[in-house]
Amino acid sequence: MNIPGARSSSQSGFIEWLLQRLTSVYVAGFAVYVAIVLLVCPPVDFEAWRGWFGSGFVRLGWALFVVLLLIHAWIGMRSVFMDYLHPLWLRLSVLVLTATGLLALGFWAAAILLRVAP
Amino acid sequence: MGNKNKRPIFLNLLRIRLPVTGVVSILHRVSGVLLVLLLPPALLLLDRSLADPDAFEACRRLMSTLPAKVLWFVALWLFVQHFLNGIRHLLLDLDICIDRECARRSAWLALAGSVLAVVAFGILR
Repeated sequence: MNIPGARSSSQSGFIEWLLQRLTSVYVAGFAVYVAIVLLVCPPVDFEAWRGWFGSGFVRLGWALFVVLLLIHAWIGMRSVFMDYLHPLWLRLSVLVLTATGLLALGFWAAAILLRVAP
Repeated sequence: MGNKNKRPIFLNLLRIRLPVTGVVSILHRVSGVLLVLLLPPALLLLDRSLADPDAFEACRRLMSTLPAKVLWFVALWLFVQHFLNGIRHLLLDLDICIDRECARRSAWLALAGSVLAVVAFGILR
């Protein structure tokens, strides 16, 4: 049977493996940036906090961070479930729940990022 | 025909001595799952802190309570542990520090580094 877009078994999982590593680099780098900002010049009040968060590049950085973090979380959770959840119905239900939850977090984060636009 | 294989076939977790590389490996998984579970409260905190000045102050008050502080430090340790061990895994993927001795030392380093980072943050803050 030929499934369009299906990968051969030798390639199966490679994209996920690679994405997990690529996303980790950005997520880790951005986390270090945020940690440095919060340690060196912690926002003293609401105005400062929102001002920093709402500025163009910071907001773009956060948007990328959210997307890549959710991809990273999805691949990680997926491999954990594939290792430990063996009944197919259970694995599928938990995967669907996780995907829904992560997607909801993504839309929530998007709403926050749009709201803080200057 | 008897089983000639003399390897033990029990799976008693108390009798299996996991090497430190195995400990940090499972820790990486556990911390990853826990960090995902911490995403909703983290996003809620972000949402409220950016809503208006009153909500910001409420977040600040909440974060100064003891349970919130404890949870924050646990989350910080989970993250730094996952972060350092993640770097370790990336290096291992590049065949760096792949021999057993070096892999063991880097596993201890990641563990010690995560504890140290949390202590340092507690003092600096």
